[in-house]
Amino acid sequence: MNVLDIRSVTKRFGGLVAVNKLDLSVAPGQIVSVIGPNGAGKTTVFNVITGVYEPDGGELRFLDGDLRRPFNQDTVLGIVGVGVVTGIALMITLHLESLWDATIVQNYVYQQSFPWGKAAGDFFAFLGAHGTSSTLSFLAGALLGSAAAFLGWARQRRSPDTIAARGICRTFQNLRLFPMMTVLENVLTGMDVHLHSRIFGMLVRSPGFRREEGIARDDGMKLLEFVGLASRANQLAGSLPYGDQRRLEIARALATKPKLLLLDEPAAGMNPAETVDLMKLIDRIRQTGVTVLLIEHDMKVVMGISDRITVLNYGTRIAEGTPAEVRANPQVIEAYLGKEDVG
Amino acid sequence: MTAARRAVNHFRQVEWILLIIALLIPLLDQVLYATGLGAWTIGNDVCQRVLIFTLLALGLNVIVGYAGLLHLGVAAFMAIGVYAYAILSCDIYPFRIGFWGALVAAPLICALAGLILGSPTLRLRGDYLAIVTLGFGEIVQDVLKNLDNITKGTQGINPLPPPSFFGHALNQSVYQPWYYLFLGFVVLAVIAVKNLENSRLGRQWVAIREDELAATCMGINPVRVKLKAFAITAAVCGLAGVLYASKLETTAEPTSYDFNVSITVLCILIVGGTGSLRGVLMGSAMVMGFDIILKKITEALQAAGLTASGNVILTPSNWKYLLFGLALVLMMRFRPEGIFPSSRIREELHAGEGDGIEAT
Repeated sequence: MNVLDIRSVTKRFGGLVAVNKLDLSVAPGQIVSVIGPNGAGKTTVFNVITGVYEPDGGELRFLDGDLRRPFNQDTVLGIVGVGVVTGIALMITLHLESLWDATIVQNYVYQQSFPWGKAAGDFFAFLGAHGTSSTLSFLAGALLGSAAAFLGWARQRRSPDTIAARGICRTFQNLRLFPMMTVLENVLTGMDVHLHSRIFGMLVRSPGFRREEGIARDDGMKLLEFVGLASRANQLAGSLPYGDQRRLEIARALATKPKLLLLDEPAAGMNPAETVDLMKLIDRIRQTGVTVLLIEHDMKVVMGISDRITVLNYGTRIAEGTPAEVRANPQVIEAYLGKEDVG
Repeated sequence: MTAARRAVNHFRQVEWILLIIALLIPLLDQVLYATGLGAWTIGNDVCQRVLIFTLLALGLNVIVGYAGLLHLGVAAFMAIGVYAYAILSCDIYPFRIGFWGALVAAPLICALAGLILGSPTLRLRGDYLAIVTLGFGEIVQDVLKNLDNITKGTQGINPLPPPSFFGHALNQSVYQPWYYLFLGFVVLAVIAVKNLENSRLGRQWVAIREDELAATCMGINPVRVKLKAFAITAAVCGLAGVLYASKLETTAEPTSYDFNVSITVLCILIVGGTGSLRGVLMGSAMVMGFDIILKKITEALQAAGLTASGNVILTPSNWKYLLFGLALVLMMRFRPEGIFPSSRIREELHAGEGDGIEAT
C-alpha cells in the first residue's frame, strides 16, 4: 500500500500544460524526490496534491483512499438537512406578515396569557389554507438550499484544509510563515487541527481549555527542540534568519502530525553547513515514521537522502528510479545540461 | 480564584486608568452639582453614547481587527438586537420574556443572523465583503421599516421593560445604576474578547489574516474561522443594542441604526488602533467623548445667551463631523495604525506586501 499514488494527473493553465499525465508513487517510510529544471512543474504537483489547485484530470489516492472527501450518507443527510431548513425558512419568510397576523395578532389579547397551542394550530392551518404557495415556496427554498449546500460541499471536497487534516502537510518554496506571530505560535497554529476547545471554553478560559493549551505548548516546544529552534521560541518568526525560518516551516508542518510531508526546496538559500543539518533533520523526520516527498535543486541533498527520484521536464516525467539509476539516465543529463552537439 | 486573577492580569495600565475614570464620572456629576455648577449629567451621556459605542467597537474589533475583514454593517446587528429585545419583551407581543431573558436571546439571534449573512458571503474578499455588509445594513433598516405589522414601522416599539434587580426596575430619572450596569457589561466584554484573542481562535484569526493560504494548508478552515468572527461581532453588537434600547425604553425608528452608526464605530477603531483593545477603549472614549464635550459647550453657550440655537455656525455640536473628518485625515497622514496600535498590526502595516502562489 502506497502512501500516495498519483495516476496520470494533468494540470493546465490556459494553453500551458504545467503537469502532463504524471504518475508518481510514494511508498511508506521513503524519501522521494521530485527534481527537474526550473519551470518543470514541480511546485504545481505540490499544489495539486495539497488541494491548492484542482487537477484537470487523473486521480490522486492517499493511503488507498481517494484524496477527496468521500460522498457518503452523511453528505446526503447534510445536504438534505440544509435544504429542508432553507425551505422552511423561505416558506415562513414569504408569508411572514400574514403568518404573524394569523398566529400572534389574532390570538393575543393585551396582557392576557397567550394560547400557544392554538397559535401553533393556526400556524399550520394557515399554511394548509395556502397550500399551493407554501408548497411552492418550500420546494423553491429546499432546492436552492440543497444546491448551495452541494456546491459548498463540492468546493470543500479537495480544499487544502481537509487534505491537511487527513495527514498531508507542506512547506512553501518562498516561505509562508506567519511573520508577526512568535515562533511557538507558528507551531501552535500548525497544531490547530488536533485541538478541540470550543468557543465557550475559550471565552471563560475553562480548565479544559487551559489544560489543552498547556499540553499544546509543551508539544510545540518539543517540536522546536526537534528542529533546533527551542531557544528562539518567543521571537517573532519574521525576525529569524533565513535558514531558521525554513526549519520553522518544517516544524509547523510537522505540528499537524502529517503522514506525508511535502518539502518544497527546503535547502534553498542555506549555506553548506545548514544544508548538512537539514539533511540530518529530514532523515530524523523519516525515522519518526513520516514519509517525505521532496522538491530540491541541491543535488547533494537529493542524491544523498532520496530513496527514489522522479525527474520532470515540461510537466512530463522523463525518468524515475533510484539515485544511481537517475544519475545515469541520458534523458536526465540532456534535460539538465542540454543535448550534446555532435559534429 | 485563579480564574479571576488571570482575568485581572489581562488588564494593562491603560485599561485600569480608563476603568477608574469611567467609575468616577458619575461622582464628577455629583460634585459639579454640589458645588453649584449645575446639573451636567455627563454620566448620562457617557452611558448612552460612550459605553454603547465601546461595546459596538469591541464587537467590530473582532472581525476588523482580529480576522482582518472590513465590515460596514454593525448597525444592522445592533438593530436586530434592539428589535429582538423589543419583540421578545414588550407587552404588546405575547412573548414577554423580560429584559434578562432578552439579554440572552437577542445576542443569540444576532449571532444566527451573522451566520446567515456570513455563510454565503465569506468567500468574498476585501472590498466586496465590505459592500455586502454595507448592503445588509441598508436591507435590515428597510425591512424593519416596512414590516409594519411586526415592527410597528417608523413608530418604533415601546415601552420596553427596563432591567430589574430582584424586582426593582431601574428608573429613568436616576442614571447611575444604568451607568454601572453598562460599564459592567463593557468590562465583561473586554475580558471575553481578550480571552478569545489569547486562545486558539485568536491564533486562527491572526493566521488567516496574515496568510490565508498558509493557514489553510495547515488545516485551518478559513470559512469556519471567519464565520465565528462574524457571529461574535454580531452577538456583541446585539448586546449593545439591547442595552441601548433598554435605556431609551423604545426601539426608536429603524433609521436610527443607519450607516452613520456603522461608520462611526469603524472610525473609533481607526482612531484607536484596530486589533488592540486599549486602542478600542481609547478610541471610543475620544471620539464619543469629544462629541459629548461639544454638546456640553453648546449647551453652556446657549445657557449663557452667547448664541442662539438658530445660529448654525456658532453651534459647536454642528462642527462634529467637520472636526471628526479633519481628525481622521490627520490620523491617516501621521499615524495610520491608530493611537494605541496592536504591535502585530503595526508591523503588518509597515511590512511589504506578501507574494502570491508560486507556480514552478
